[in-house]
Amino acid sequence: MLAELGHFSLVLALLMAILLAIYPMWGAQRGQQVLMQTAKPLTVGLFLFTLFAYVCLTQSFIDNDFSIAYVAHNSNTLLPWYYRMTAVWGGHEGSFLLWVLIFALWAVAVAVFSRGIPLDILARVLAILGMVGVGFYLYILLASNPFERLLPFYPVDGRDLNPLLQDFGMIIHPPLLYMGYVGFSVVFAFAIAALVAGKLDATWARWSRPWTLAAWVFLTLGIALGSWWAYKELGWGGWWFWDPVENASFMPWLVGTALLHSLAVTEKRKVFKSWTVLLAIAAFSLSLLGTFLVRSGILVSVHSFASDPTRGLFILGLLVLVIGGSLLLYALRAPQLRSAGRYELLSRETMLIGNNILLCSATLVVLMGTLLPLVHKELGLGSISIGAPFFDQMFVYLIVPFVLLLVMGPLSRWKNQSLAALRNQLLAGLGLSLLAVLLLNLGRDGLSYMAVLGMALSVWIAIATVQEVRQRLSAVNHGLAGLKALTPSHWGMVLGHLGFAATIMGIAMVTSYSVERDVRMSPGEQIELQGYEFRFLGVEALTGPNYTGHVAKLDVFVEGKKISHLQAQKRFYTVQRNVMTEAAVDPGFTRDLYVALGEQLSNGDWALRVYVKPYIRWIWGGAAIMALGGLLSMSDKRYRMARLVKASEPVSKLAGESV
Amino acid sequence: MKRIGLFLLPLGLFLLITLFLLQGLFSNPRDIESSLLDKPVPSFSLPDVMDASVQYGPEVFQDQVTLLNVWGTWCVTCAVELPFLTQLREQGVRIVGLYYEQELDPDFGGKTIQQIRADINKTVSQLGNPYVFNIFDHSRDTSMDFGVTGAPETFLIDQQGRVRLHHVGDLNERVWQNKFLPLYQELSQ
Amino acid sequence: MNPRRKQRLMAFSAIILVIGGAIGLMLYALGQNIDLFYTPSELVEGKNGVKPQVGQRLRIGGMVVPGSVQRDDDSLAVSFDLVDTGPVVRVSYQGILPDLFREGQGIVATGVLTALNHIEAEEVLAKHDEEYMPPELAEAMKGIKHVKPSEANYGNKG
Repeated sequence: MLAELGHFSLVLALLMAILLAIYPMWGAQRGQQVLMQTAKPLTVGLFLFTLFAYVCLTQSFIDNDFSIAYVAHNSNTLLPWYYRMTAVWGGHEGSFLLWVLIFALWAVAVAVFSRGIPLDILARVLAILGMVGVGFYLYILLASNPFERLLPFYPVDGRDLNPLLQDFGMIIHPPLLYMGYVGFSVVFAFAIAALVAGKLDATWARWSRPWTLAAWVFLTLGIALGSWWAYKELGWGGWWFWDPVENASFMPWLVGTALLHSLAVTEKRKVFKSWTVLLAIAAFSLSLLGTFLVRSGILVSVHSFASDPTRGLFILGLLVLVIGGSLLLYALRAPQLRSAGRYELLSRETMLIGNNILLCSATLVVLMGTLLPLVHKELGLGSISIGAPFFDQMFVYLIVPFVLLLVMGPLSRWKNQSLAALRNQLLAGLGLSLLAVLLLNLGRDGLSYMAVLGMALSVWIAIATVQEVRQRLSAVNHGLAGLKALTPSHWGMVLGHLGFAATIMGIAMVTSYSVERDVRMSPGEQIELQGYEFRFLGVEALTGPNYTGHVAKLDVFVEGKKISHLQAQKRFYTVQRNVMTEAAVDPGFTRDLYVALGEQLSNGDWALRVYVKPYIRWIWGGAAIMALGGLLSMSDKRYRMARLVKASEPVSKLAGESV
Repeated sequence: MKRIGLFLLPLGLFLLITLFLLQGLFSNPRDIESSLLDKPVPSFSLPDVMDASVQYGPEVFQDQVTLLNVWGTWCVTCAVELPFLTQLREQGVRIVGLYYEQELDPDFGGKTIQQIRADINKTVSQLGNPYVFNIFDHSRDTSMDFGVTGAPETFLIDQQGRVRLHHVGDLNERVWQNKFLPLYQELSQ
Repeated sequence: MNPRRKQRLMAFSAIILVIGGAIGLMLYALGQNIDLFYTPSELVEGKNGVKPQVGQRLRIGGMVVPGSVQRDDDSLAVSFDLVDTGPVVRVSYQGILPDLFREGQGIVATGVLTALNHIEAEEVLAKHDEEYMPPELAEAMKGIKHVKPSEANYGNKG
């Protein structure tokens, strides 16, 4: 019964989306207040019906209703209750239901938190979201219905949730990622609404910025969490694999980052308008494309139930309509956009153009690397794979000019920057950072160029950020008390850049100074890695609720003193018939100790992976700091919507001078 | 107006990508062109899964159009297609099972033939039994000869015992209507 | 040419230069990092008439011949045979095999060809689930008869 209610509720949500796509837009074009005012209640209706459908599916999971095909495929009576709730997004249909729920949530957020936006703009934005929504809801109802029944014959027990997903990190990873992906739909809707209305000005950029920041924060956290999860769950100790699924989330992030910076310029200086709009469209398009690549099975073909080409076709059709349509509209409208501002070659504007070009090049590299195997095959040239070294190499090339611009950008003025002043700051920063790297590497043998480069870049960013804050303070001339004068959005930038520096530091250290050893050990044996003594105590049997397995126990000593006890597991999930490696990690600020259990060898020996990973936490820590910076920026007063009623005020007079 | 060309660039790029995606969508590795197509089924001599004294060979496919369905109780997709196959049996389609067991892996413990039989009986009593009989491919050699890459897979075999169709993945209403039914009707006449 | 135009031209050519350089670098990096996929018989007999050369990086996909896995007693060195329809190829690997590695299973290995029928693998991937076969392998096996390992022709002639 619940399934039917849920299904019906989804149909009603589709109806809401259709009405939302038509009435408010009609009203906005004709200037009819009544029609425009339907936008908000329709959006709320859309959200409530979707939420109800989602609750129905969750309840069916909790009730173990295996007459629903989706539940039978992704749950099991042995599964603990909390995993049953999260199993809702363990498969295709359910994760798409979560996707539309989050979509509806963003739409409602726009309706609620945008009191300051003129009604006609709001009506258009929500109507665009409605149009996109019609596609999503049609897809879920026609091609990916999570409520489909297996009647009259249904299994007594389900197939169980993929064990890869039975982990805390994986519980919150998809929702965060989807919040990011779908969040870009709001930015997209603002951009399209502005194109339709023909009003693309600084206020448009100001409305879009908090939404972009919000989506970007979620995406940053989602990606970092996914990386952390892969690190501890896949048993290889890697934190990034450049596989299509990861690339699918990384591309919108890169474009989203470019968009954040470009919006700042458009808001402040009224230039790059058409470019910013294109980025807004691209961010959402890449989110959709990523979903298509991952979900259609076009890249990762899994030989299993219901990978149906009609689904891929449906999503592709949706892509063509949404992306193709918006790019066409862009091609027609964008040439009329005039950028008002003027700027010199050496100015913050130029630096930000450079930042955008590099970020977009990075996106293209990832897109190429992801799609080339497909193109190669379709051209009849045979199957290929593009290895991680390609991406690594390209990103090393890109990061150097990127950091150079990152260091110069905040130190430069808008419009025109004097070369001499900038040069002095840069040389001072560079000198200091080289000195710091020298000190950091004292006594280390086996220096790696890459690590030195990475560290220097990272420290340079940090120093330049401090220089920039000092420069600001001397400008307001209040000494340390002037710190308060800086706006939250300025602090957001500072944190964002510092977080990025931390991530680079982590990446440089981990890739260059990790010590990884695959060893063969018998119980009682010990090995020494970088001063850490790993003593292998033995392997014991293990029994969990829905798995059996082995657990290896190790003690770690430093100079004879025990500092940690590690338990690395290997689990055999009986229903899914899958093996999972649960690595044991002793986390630390400057290093992780990582042990994963391999296979059993002859005469009682075991294969073990023993790693020491320096500074690996900095990668995710940096991402968290970046996200925090994004949150801080969002809290800036000038984005409080109520103030925008007085949008006739000249932009420059509003509080804050920062990006 | 020459600027519009520049602004059409993203659209062009996107459409190009779409073209490849579309093509990629249809060059599905699951569409396997079996080399056995229009050739007689490979020779085999295997027991019935329920009764080891009954032996089957390629002659079981003579004189009748038959669906050979490769399955196992361990395979959930197979369980999903069982009700539909049962429906087909009720419509008079002759379906023979080629059963193989995955339990060759010591990590999950071996299974005795009694356990396998009990599992099969349990599954078909719940989901329906579409099979006239089940051939037990205990060493999985015959599945390999048939070019089976996994389960479930289904072959359409004509009265002369030749393989006419090979489908990888679950057999459902849509696949039956589009892929099997026209040929099945033609052969059955 | 007025200064503004000149400046625009400068900016424009800078962008073109950067993009051109980026594309060049990318193609260079790509050329070094594309791994072609072979099956054991394609490796030995050639794929579309082209045989891979010793020293080339490639990916190979096939089934692990039962009984062919040999572990060193003192280290993590392991070697095994891969087969699809004809000749077998020996793969050597130093390290921990994936959780799902089994005899008789389809696996994909990435590595360097050290002899005409021998690969030093850097990475071995496997899938345990019988309902799954690596897409490239399924693709490569399109239209060919599967030969059970016990009957495969183990010679190099194929």
